[in-house]
Amino acid sequence: MKRDTYIRLGRMVLLLAVQLLVLNHLHLFGYATPLIIGYMIICFETSVSRMSLLWWGFGIGLLYDVFSNTMGMAAASCTLLAMVKPSILKLFMPRDMVESFKPTIQNMGLTRYIWYSLSCMGLLHFTFYFLEAFSLSDLLLTIGAMIGGTVLATLISVCVEYIVRNRIEEREVGK
Amino acid sequence: MQNLIDFIVKYKHWFVFFLMEGFCLALLFRFNNYQGSVFFTTANSFVGGIYSAVDGVTSYVGLNAVNEKLEAENEMLRAEVHEMKRELAAHRIDTLRFDGFNRARYHFVGAQIVNATTNHSLNLLTLNKGEKDGIRPEMGVICSSGVVGIVFLTSDHYSTVMPLINVKSKVSCQLKEHLSFGTMEWEFGSCEFGYMTGVPLHIKASVGEVVETNGHSDIFPSGIPLGTVERLGQSDDGLSQKLTVKLAVDYTAVRNVSVITNYHHAEKRTLEFQADSLMSLD
Repeated sequence: MKRDTYIRLGRMVLLLAVQLLVLNHLHLFGYATPLIIGYMIICFETSVSRMSLLWWGFGIGLLYDVFSNTMGMAAASCTLLAMVKPSILKLFMPRDMVESFKPTIQNMGLTRYIWYSLSCMGLLHFTFYFLEAFSLSDLLLTIGAMIGGTVLATLISVCVEYIVRNRIEEREVGK
Repeated sequence: MQNLIDFIVKYKHWFVFFLMEGFCLALLFRFNNYQGSVFFTTANSFVGGIYSAVDGVTSYVGLNAVNEKLEAENEMLRAEVHEMKRELAAHRIDTLRFDGFNRARYHFVGAQIVNATTNHSLNLLTLNKGEKDGIRPEMGVICSSGVVGIVFLTSDHYSTVMPLINVKSKVSCQLKEHLSFGTMEWEFGSCEFGYMTGVPLHIKASVGEVVETNGHSDIFPSGIPLGTVERLGQSDDGLSQKLTVKLAVDYTAVRNVSVITNYHHAEKRTLEFQADSLMSLD
């Protein structure tokens, strides 16, 4: 249990660093910035209680807000994603799973994983950019940022999943 | 109680979720200028809307008091206008004469109609003021739109009024433009219309002309409207005109009235009575 927590903390710091140092300076088509911090919430297993999921989501969102000067926006959207994520996962995971289920490409298959990741990232980016724009003027621009960010973040999360999991598996096979 | 605790424990993640989102929104509106201004502008206009609705209701509820105040003010102004007119008339005749010691003949007592009938042939109104307020029989009663009627009977605290819509009511009146005298009467039927009788045939009254009091009877000062001419016609004997008059007062809605207290009236009547009796002695 403690080991899991440390791993998650490490993952959170790493994701935040990548997000703040690299991705925040990336403005695809001029405005679409992917929020990879959502990957943190997507990765959680089903055995994690909703309460701790909420706290993790709230925490990473708030930390991101503090460093990127977007007080409240990412925290609100990450908390919402953490609240809804178990329900979204239920839509895509095999029905007969009873014990702890980890949403990975190996467990779900590539197509399902992409759809799962796309829905979660879509929700996150929709909330975030809506709170950032906070008006219905320039709606097209906002929708463009939502779609661009969602697609990009999904792509990145799938890539990371591929690389990291493969590495871990290779390492485990090597052992 | 146990159920409540169970409920809270079962759905605690929802409570925490809403608390967190509330906290996030508070941060959002507190630390982001644009979002904050949008939120507070919307909230202000919303609260402003509620306040104006509440204000509308309160002012509507307070209308009664405002109405009473206005009515009292109206009485004061009517008395003042009457006195001014009298003063003016006196000065027109002779600018050097000043009749400052003579008190105004007419005063006004505000009252409210507490009971009224409009569908009988002998309709009566009841006012909530009586002799203790200075009201005596045969005093005129008016409201803001015109003549209501004449006081019929009085008790200590109440008085009954014979309105224009009573078949026994007869009020002396005149056509405003032609200055032709007549009598305002009523026939059992609609409480909206009365009849002005006794107008000579040669008078060419026009529809819409105002019928007002002529000041002969001392009950009403001159110039108080009774109604407007609605239809021209002849009396049954064909010797005079009988004009249908749309009454100025809506008897189904009138509530606040003023009683014209002319205390000189009794004095005048006594004097006339004495003169009459002296004449008959001769």
